[in-house]
Amino acid sequence: MTAQRILVVEDNEKNLKLVRDVLQYKGYEILEARTGEQGVELALAFLPHLVLMDLQLPGINGERAFQLIRDNERTSGIPIVALTASAMKDDRVRVLQAGFDGYLDKPISVRALPDQVLQYLNRKDSPR
Amino acid sequence: MADHRESSTGGDPDQRRAQLDLHESREQFEATSEVLVALGRSSSNNDAVLDTLVRSVCRLCRGDAAMLYLADRDGYRLARSVGLSAEFVDYVDRHPLAADRGSLVGRVGLDRRIQQITDVLSDPNYGRYDYQRIAGFRSLVGAPMIVDEKVIGVLSVWRNEVEPFDDRMAILLTTFAAQAAIAINHVELVRALEARTSELGRKVDQLEALGAVIEAVNSSLDLDQVLAEIVMHAVQLSGTDGGSIMEFDDLEQVFAVRATFGTTDELLTNLRHTRIELDKTFVGRAALAGGPLQEPDLRGLPLDAHQAELFRAGWISMLAVPLLREHRIVGVLVVRRKRPGGYDDEIVDMLESFAAQSALAILNARVFRELERKSQELEIASRHKSEFLASMSHELRTPLNAVIGFSEVLLERMFGELNERQDEYLRDILGSGQHLLELLNDVLDLSKVEAGRMELDRSTFAVGDAIEYSLSMVRERALQQHITLDWSVDPVLPDLYADQLRIRQVIVNLVTNAVKFTPAGGRVEVAAVGTGSEIEITVTDTGPGIPEEDRERIFESFQQGGRSVNRQEGTGLGLTLSRRIVELHAGRMWLDTTVGAGSTFGLALPLIATTASVTVPTQYGQSDGPVVIVVDDDPGSLELLGLYLSGAGVQVAVAGTGADGLALARRLKPAAIILDIRLPDVEGWELMSVLRADPATSGVPLLVVSVVDERARGLALGAVDYLVKPVGRDAVLGPLARLGILPTNRLGQPLLGKGSPA
Repeated sequence: MTAQRILVVEDNEKNLKLVRDVLQYKGYEILEARTGEQGVELALAFLPHLVLMDLQLPGINGERAFQLIRDNERTSGIPIVALTASAMKDDRVRVLQAGFDGYLDKPISVRALPDQVLQYLNRKDSPR
Repeated sequence: MADHRESSTGGDPDQRRAQLDLHESREQFEATSEVLVALGRSSSNNDAVLDTLVRSVCRLCRGDAAMLYLADRDGYRLARSVGLSAEFVDYVDRHPLAADRGSLVGRVGLDRRIQQITDVLSDPNYGRYDYQRIAGFRSLVGAPMIVDEKVIGVLSVWRNEVEPFDDRMAILLTTFAAQAAIAINHVELVRALEARTSELGRKVDQLEALGAVIEAVNSSLDLDQVLAEIVMHAVQLSGTDGGSIMEFDDLEQVFAVRATFGTTDELLTNLRHTRIELDKTFVGRAALAGGPLQEPDLRGLPLDAHQAELFRAGWISMLAVPLLREHRIVGVLVVRRKRPGGYDDEIVDMLESFAAQSALAILNARVFRELERKSQELEIASRHKSEFLASMSHELRTPLNAVIGFSEVLLERMFGELNERQDEYLRDILGSGQHLLELLNDVLDLSKVEAGRMELDRSTFAVGDAIEYSLSMVRERALQQHITLDWSVDPVLPDLYADQLRIRQVIVNLVTNAVKFTPAGGRVEVAAVGTGSEIEITVTDTGPGIPEEDRERIFESFQQGGRSVNRQEGTGLGLTLSRRIVELHAGRMWLDTTVGAGSTFGLALPLIATTASVTVPTQYGQSDGPVVIVVDDDPGSLELLGLYLSGAGVQVAVAGTGADGLALARRLKPAAIILDIRLPDVEGWELMSVLRADPATSGVPLLVVSVVDERARGLALGAVDYLVKPVGRDAVLGPLARLGILPTNRLGQPLLGKGSPA
């Protein structure tokens, strides 16, 4: 089985590196985007199996990028999970209402992240 | 009729005498009646009464003239008369009678009784021949008018011939004099009463105006409006033509006009451009003297700048009343007239009341302005603080996350094995990073509480679970320190309806502190008991105890404390935050401590009754049917929906709160969830979002049954259908049937059929 591709859209270098390193260690292929626009572009170009999307991004924000990916026929089936600040409870409700498939609270837990990612990847097969 | 009687009676002298008496008596009676009638008719005007009286007495005493003299300061003046020439009256006016024995009137007044002079020309003591020469009278009689032992006048009659007045006439005159006295006294009483009444009326007007002013002062914060009202009432009630209220500026030492009445715009403009200085003006003098000051006539006087403006605008006199408050000059109230003249005490007194109210109004307004400014500043400062804390905590959190995350990566051995020292140092880095993160979270939480923005996310949970969780957080450390952990929970303790995470946070904080401060070999004990209306949780340690002076301080944020409490790696915020969280739950926290023996921190949370604790979780229906969870807090709805569903062969699980519904959903993996929007802990919308987001429940169809009519929102959140209560059986079962959830009955038909009772 070929490695599953995960697109990480995150403008903070360290956070990006952490998520990338942990997931690469677990054997995933990681696509990195540092802006919303770049995220949309990479999603269309490489059709990842999962998108992890920060909300506060330079340029178009995470919700807008989510909408663009979701609205495109070619990428509409990709599960998209928001990376939310744990202190912001409102953010969680907002992203779920916007239609994100779920959220991961930041700071992400190095130990829990692989399992969480796995769950979202598996859900892709079940009916939405 | 009387005449007829007189003429018909015969010539017998006795009879004639009797008839004459009768006639006189009748005449006398009629005259008296006339006087009484006149008296009754006019209460405030005695002229008509006295005229009637004088006329009657003159006739009845068969005199040629009758006079009523009234006593004044040094003699008698003629008040009413009949039978006198205009020339004589004029003469008497100019040459009044003295209170001496030189006149009959004088003698009557001195002796206080009726007197007679048979012939003035043969009376050696008579002194007013000047009168006699003009009027030519000879016989005189006079009676005193006495009120309250005081002779107020004399009623007298004269004849131009020498003919003494008989006893009957003397009695008559005495009677009439008494009546005149009564009439005059009565009128004076009435006048005094009327004067008093009108004075009272004026006072009432004043009090009413003052009342209006006080009300305006108290009810309106618009100072200019209040002052305008005061100056209007002040001018109207003092009967002056115009006025103004000026406010004193302490800094500049000048007065500035705040409100005017009866003043032209031009004058107002000019006054506003005039520097009315404290030490150079009339109003300033009044203020410095601390009392009212008046200038009855501005003409020809050297005028100050303020007065000059007034005078130019046609004002001739002025009264200035200072507005003072605790010896401080607040301003001055001025009323003025366009004619010269003083201001009497009554006006001055009244304006002093008005001035006091004006001072109060001005000071009130100043205090209010100051308060408003302060509270605005505070609000801005507090907002800045909150924003600063929020942004700072975010800024700090990001790099901290990297510290924690990368330490974890290394500790997970993702990139190779570590030696013992590397492992130890990484654990130190990770531990410190996590501690810093906790600190940050505390700061953020506290700023939320203080800004009133911390919201409780209540659910029903067992206190024992929260305690167990909290102890698990410190178990490792306690083990290392050889500290015994003990806990006991009252077995019949009801569940708490509270913010579970927050309550855990509080207990974790208390047990962490307890373990931290308890020496090796010590003991930490957590207990929970019910007291009927509350649940009490206590954390007891065998630590050093807390000295008296620190007992209150340890609950305060570190920015408030002066000296530091022995704060080994403590945040200084944990207890402050804990207390705030408990208070948000309407609970309380306390501390029992003995230095050298240990401390007990306690918290009490009120029990809030919820239907959830009564109804959850009940399960009924066929054991082999599909499971449907109903989340609703109304027992009636639960029962009805339960009946519909179990009747269709469904296993029903009910939850009274969103939290319980979520827990059930995760555990039971139901075929569908029916939920209400109004739930005691969360809104149905939120529950739907969470169910959708959770991988364990995201595939479960949701059906909303609620009184809340927001179908579009429900469908947008992923509901398969949205029903508004009250709902019938078919409405509920229809969507479930379409989803293929309902089992068919033994006859192979769907349990749902057309025409089933709703």
